[in-house]
Amino acid sequence: MNSTAQDEITEYVERVRAALADLPEATRAELLEDLPEHLAEIRAEDTVTLTDRLGTPEAYAAELRGTATGYVGGFPDPPKSPWVTPAEVRTQVMKVLGPADVKIGPLIGYPKASDFLALLRPAWWVLRGYLAAMALAYLFDASGNEPGLLPRVGGSTLVALILLAGCVFASILIGQRRLGRAGWPRYVLRFGSVFLVLFAIGGFFNADSDVRDPGYSDAGYSGGGNPYDYITDVFVYDSTGKLVPGARLFDQDGSPIQMGNAWCDNPNTGESFHSRSMGYPYCPEAAPFGSPNATPSANRTATPEPDAAATAEPGATVTPDATATPGATVTPGASVTEPADAPTTKPARPAPSASFLDGGR
Amino acid sequence: MDTTQLLKGVLDLAVLAALRDEDGYGYDILRRLRAAGLEDVGDASVYGTLRRLFAGGYLNSYVVPSVEGPHRKYYGLNAAGHAELQRSGKVWHGFASTMDDLLRERETA
Repeated sequence: MNSTAQDEITEYVERVRAALADLPEATRAELLEDLPEHLAEIRAEDTVTLTDRLGTPEAYAAELRGTATGYVGGFPDPPKSPWVTPAEVRTQVMKVLGPADVKIGPLIGYPKASDFLALLRPAWWVLRGYLAAMALAYLFDASGNEPGLLPRVGGSTLVALILLAGCVFASILIGQRRLGRAGWPRYVLRFGSVFLVLFAIGGFFNADSDVRDPGYSDAGYSGGGNPYDYITDVFVYDSTGKLVPGARLFDQDGSPIQMGNAWCDNPNTGESFHSRSMGYPYCPEAAPFGSPNATPSANRTATPEPDAAATAEPGATVTPDATATPGATVTPGASVTEPADAPTTKPARPAPSASFLDGGR
Repeated sequence: MDTTQLLKGVLDLAVLAALRDEDGYGYDILRRLRAAGLEDVGDASVYGTLRRLFAGGYLNSYVVPSVEGPHRKYYGLNAAGHAELQRSGKVWHGFASTMDDLLRERETA
């Protein structure tokens, strides 16, 4: 058959289909299912066009419609089940998926898209094993810890890896049909697969939102793993290892950085009292590194002890991601102490906070 | 009196009868019906009836490849089709003889 005849048939079928547009979809599909092949038979019988042979598509459709009504020729259609059978659903779905399968396939270099999907089957087995392991971990892990991306039970990575390996192994065996798949296990398997897919979708969006929004990270607020959670006070040391009193911290926008709390504990009495310091540190007496001026009793020799300077180095750097620190006494890297400089630095002036310390006690 | 209206009522039976002795494809069956004297039967009626009988489980169907033309879809009666042909045939005979009697009475009256 040449392509002209094919086009003629296609056009004829489409016009018949359009003329039957008001029929229920199932009836129409049933009537039209074989029509192209049938018309091809007729077209092959002789050379006249379909319209010459059969009349207009609209007339053909009208005649066809007459055969579709329930009673033709004395006996009714067999009673139709009120339930939509899985086979019917399958037929309807395949009617849509079938052509799509053939059309999409060549785009990705395969005769049919389903050929490509069949190649992915072992990948699904592995994924299914992983999902099953995650689901089991969720069911059996009573520790309340976040399991992360491995199926940890009780926070144990070893258990997670063993469980993961076992589930993937079993899933592959099931996929290769080495484990029973007849009768009810087949339905269990299908039900389980649907469950795992739903579980995976839920888990995916959970993980996605965790990554996008890892919790409130402002210092001082509790919440997911913020390294600044525990900060109650800030101590600023200058380049000579001297504690800077009344320091103020600003971010790149000039907004003050507020962290810690302005309450101090008296180590002797255990009492808490409100800090009177106008900046950091709130509680100078709690300075983590010895400083020549940190306490009134500190030695006030001209040179700070090299030890003190050296110990002030690690961790003392206050570097809020700032490029400009208006009015701040802290600049990034300012507290890096060169031990060589230490002996030559000027005598430290008495710490202004000394009076505070006295008053505070 | 319009034979197409009468035909409508017996089309299923006619198609079943056309397939009683030999399987056939759509156009073939149409030809048999016309050859038997049902000149008014249309292709769409035969095609639609075949589809419906097949969907109803009265026919089996198979495709026969053809060298010079398109493949042909053949239909044949299955057991249910044969049973239906017998049952409907009896109904038709009863109906036809009733009509015959009725017409004879009228004519003779």
